[in-house]
Amino acid sequence: MKSKLIEHTLSIVLLSCVFIIVMNVIGHRESARNVDRMRFIAPYLQFDSLDFGNPLHVALFKETLDLFHPETPARNDSLLLAIQAFRQEQFTNQAYKTGGGDRGLSSAKMMKLGNMYLQFIIIYLIVMVLSYYAAQSLAIFRFVKMKQNKTSYLEELYTGMRSTTHRNGSFFSHSVFLFAKALVKSLSYAVLFSPAYVIAYSIRSSMNTDSYLFMIVLGVISNGLLINYANKFFTFLVTESRKGYVQTAIVKNLNASYEWGTPDGVSRWSVVRPGSSFPSHVFRHIYMNARFQFLSTLKEHASFLITGLVIIEMALNIQGHLGYELLQNILYKQYDVVVSIILGIFFIVKVTEIVVDGWFHHESRKYENRV
Amino acid sequence: MDGFRKKDKLWLTIWLTGLAGLGLWDAVFLNQPAFLLLQTAFVNTLTAGVLVVVFSLALGWPIGVALYFLETRRPAFYLSFTFVLNIIRSIPQIVGILIGYVILTIFIEDQILRSQFSQLVWMAFTISLFVFLEVVDLVRERIAYYNKLDFFQAMLCCGIKEGRIINRDILWKNSRAHLLHKMISVFGIAVFLQCSIDFIISVGLSTDVSLSNFPVTLGSLLAKLDSKQDILAVGSAFSSPTNALSLLFEHLQGVSIAFVIVFTLLCVYKISNGLVRRFNL
Amino acid sequence: MNTLRFDIRIATDERTLVDIREFQLPLDRITFLFGESGIGKSLIARAVYGLLDPEEFNITINGEPYKSYVRKPETQGVKENSFYVFQEPSSHLNPLMPLEMQIREGSLSQVSDDREILDRLLEGSDANEVRKLLEVYPKPYRPSGGEKQRIFLVMALKKIDLMLAAGRVNKQHVFVFDEPTGSLDNHFRNVFLSLLFKRFQQQRFTTLLITHDYSMVSEVTRTYRGFVDYVSFKELSLHNGRHTLSDFQPETYIGWLEKQRKEPASRKPGGESRPLLRVESGVEVFRQQLTISKDPEGAQLSALEIYPGTVVYAKAPSGTGKTTLVKLMMGLIRGKNLKVTLDGDILTEYTPRRFWQKKIWGKKMTMVFQHADEALNPRATVMETFQGLPSEKRITRESVRQSLGELFDFEIGDEFMNKQVSTLSGGQKQRLNLLRSLFLNTDILILDEPLNGLDFESTTKVLSMIRGKQRAGKGILLISHNEEIFDALISKEHIYYLQAAPAK
Repeated sequence: MKSKLIEHTLSIVLLSCVFIIVMNVIGHRESARNVDRMRFIAPYLQFDSLDFGNPLHVALFKETLDLFHPETPARNDSLLLAIQAFRQEQFTNQAYKTGGGDRGLSSAKMMKLGNMYLQFIIIYLIVMVLSYYAAQSLAIFRFVKMKQNKTSYLEELYTGMRSTTHRNGSFFSHSVFLFAKALVKSLSYAVLFSPAYVIAYSIRSSMNTDSYLFMIVLGVISNGLLINYANKFFTFLVTESRKGYVQTAIVKNLNASYEWGTPDGVSRWSVVRPGSSFPSHVFRHIYMNARFQFLSTLKEHASFLITGLVIIEMALNIQGHLGYELLQNILYKQYDVVVSIILGIFFIVKVTEIVVDGWFHHESRKYENRV
Repeated sequence: MDGFRKKDKLWLTIWLTGLAGLGLWDAVFLNQPAFLLLQTAFVNTLTAGVLVVVFSLALGWPIGVALYFLETRRPAFYLSFTFVLNIIRSIPQIVGILIGYVILTIFIEDQILRSQFSQLVWMAFTISLFVFLEVVDLVRERIAYYNKLDFFQAMLCCGIKEGRIINRDILWKNSRAHLLHKMISVFGIAVFLQCSIDFIISVGLSTDVSLSNFPVTLGSLLAKLDSKQDILAVGSAFSSPTNALSLLFEHLQGVSIAFVIVFTLLCVYKISNGLVRRFNL
Repeated sequence: MNTLRFDIRIATDERTLVDIREFQLPLDRITFLFGESGIGKSLIARAVYGLLDPEEFNITINGEPYKSYVRKPETQGVKENSFYVFQEPSSHLNPLMPLEMQIREGSLSQVSDDREILDRLLEGSDANEVRKLLEVYPKPYRPSGGEKQRIFLVMALKKIDLMLAAGRVNKQHVFVFDEPTGSLDNHFRNVFLSLLFKRFQQQRFTTLLITHDYSMVSEVTRTYRGFVDYVSFKELSLHNGRHTLSDFQPETYIGWLEKQRKEPASRKPGGESRPLLRVESGVEVFRQQLTISKDPEGAQLSALEIYPGTVVYAKAPSGTGKTTLVKLMMGLIRGKNLKVTLDGDILTEYTPRRFWQKKIWGKKMTMVFQHADEALNPRATVMETFQGLPSEKRITRESVRQSLGELFDFEIGDEFMNKQVSTLSGGQKQRLNLLRSLFLNTDILILDEPLNGLDFESTTKVLSMIRGKQRAGKGILLISHNEEIFDALISKEHIYYLQAAPAK
């Protein structure tokens, strides 16, 4: 554990240094470029009579340039491009708009960022806990369904339609019921696989998508987070269920039925309830082993979850959120802000990793008979 | 139905049929320029996905094997190497790829990457830098698994070369299905990340700076104003079902793109699950 | 005599695994079932007990699909009232649950008093030690393989006690023991047999005991002579894809053993020759010190020496570290105070792995691992198994075929050469595993449990091949817990005893 901790700390320090250096280099390069460019174009910007917003003026300016320097047409072109780029930046870059005073990390900005960072952490924690439980419940539900060995709704519907007997009212209502179930299932599949922006934009017209609640819900279900981790847990359950000790448990006459609610089966409530351990059922053994393995996937879960959250914040253009701020600052090349945000995110992942490693270490020490 | 007891093949067929069906529909009802744009975007996204798969395999296999050798021979190198890899692991993929995008814009400014294809390759490379660890993990897991069995040591004792045991007997002969499965899920992740990053950047920039020099992908196409309108219309279809039909005709561009993305991700997931079941991975 | 009869077919989508027209299980008797490994003994036993997954295999029993067989009240009754001891104890224990919880779970919790069973089977120096063991979570090295196996025997005996306490025994009581003594030494094997027969004497019940250990035959016929009418020995064999069950005559084995005693394999080393290999006693590994001696008590330490043309047998209770010792010699594990003298070279813990790779492995010394299933690449063909060997002989189809001819008595055609290893039977794999190492023709050969998974016929074949190699002047080191056979085969001065003690 100690070596892990050292590694984590070291990587935090190292990455911080590397990032700060790299971004400084890029920042220098940018300002050097700007100086170069300004030296190149400054004389021409001084003509008050020239309006570069006016296409006619621009065309005239180009003609004039070509007339005076016919030997360097390429240079003339790039001069024009540079002037246009400069103007565009003046229009778009907020930092320039406010006279450049806001450029860089002022203390007010730091405060603002810190606030956003805190918000981000809270949302992250909530989504983490929710998706961790939801993924497990979903996977257990699917596992039980698999064990019940039911055919899919559509297949049941198909075979029902094929058989010509029993065509009466109840058959009809049953078919409609099955069809509706299949529809709901495929719709929820579509939601689980949709990237967050697809969902958000498709319901934006009918509800406010900028609320925290919405962000949390979106963070849990979209971007494939829930379905992927539910699937991972499900795979663990299936692999564990094939292991020898499950057979031993069956031979020891533990309950082995997976029907809902029967005395030797499992209850729906125990699937949903956090912290249930399925006592005196074979599934208890499967579950405890799968959960132990699932613990170590929490690390990638964290980084994947953050990817999802950042995508949501960026894609929804929610002002005042960390992801949005990151994107804006990347686009306007304020690399000092970018570095601090990225490092902040990196710290969240690292802290999660340290916590998970500690937890895992604690658990496995017990199982390795070292306590 | 019996031929499709192998679920992976079933879902591959469903994917191809679904795309073909959409293609036919769009050919009839979508205007020509938009349809062409959609096709280009689809091909570009697919190309990027395949490139990511190729890069991840090309990086993951040798690095995974190298790590094994370093671990037994050069512990110091091994530690520093895994240290670096763990740092990459801790950077959320989207953040890493954004950094890659920053570098890309610099490359474009300096005219190092001129053609659209080379820009696509660069983005694919950046994405694979943040997903190839999955392949490394798989390779190491497989080697470790056979290391625990007598397999490895028994072959060593017979004087068979270590490289041959790892590359040929373990990875090629006994892990092909695992690698294929991993490649498919990497493809899924790649498509998702590629679309997301393009969408984000296009949304962030759409009002200000033109992006016309980037290769068009499903993500950037979806972020265009008209596609976004189409997606917004989906919401109104929920509130008044009469509007639902218009989705299939008037708002076809955005709806098609969203469908292709979601449907592809779903099918990739189903195919990889089918593989798991077929090969008992 | 009442007998349960089963007609069993088990197949996957690709191939048939079991096809037996009449599998007999005599009621109220103890049946010992022999046969080469991988032939389908466990599969049959599990199928009868109702433990297989109907979705995983295509199974019919007595013409009935397996799903309905499992649902039958008789099968349910067997599952309810009996116990099945699985072959691999380590994977059949839950690694996240202490042993005590595992032996007192489900129906086993109804047994009030398990002290006698625990004391006899887990006997430590005192009760404290037994309790300490039960608090442990099962992990690969602790409890040891033998202890894990005994945990399963504890469970089965408890279930038998439950049955005896209820006082009713019928045909829904079928106790299956799959290789229950695979990792036990003779002492605990005999303890187990005595506990089993003691209960059987009280009340007869149906028992199926699957094993490879032919020495069980002589133990049972010698010690439990009075039960001779209630014990049967059967052998499962496979011919042309069909399984048959036949009676195994104890005399076949006992007679063969007598013959071996008369002509021991090891000759005295010639006075002039130097040993090929010498291993000093006292190497330390896993915080244990392994000592070698020539007497069972370990009073007089000595170095292990192998001369040309001799077979040396290293003997130790299970879990002592026999396999560990040879892995140390092969440079697969590192240990303190290792000193091996081999052909003028001295190997220690500081010898780099590269040296073993360049000079030793496959050149001077090879080792045959005990689990052929694991040691061979299941996806390679028979021919490919030989490719890549650093042999002086050229590896051609012809040379491989010639080598295969030494242990396979049928005509070896291209079809067999192109067969995947995974489709071979267990005995065939074991022989292939042996032949791969023999192909290299090294001076020293280490065999770890070479009789593992062989039927009686293959056993005799392998042993005569070992003798052939010995006559050709090779030095052979044998490790096996099959003490009876090797004690008969190898003369006393070539037997070494291994002891483990906590390192200082």
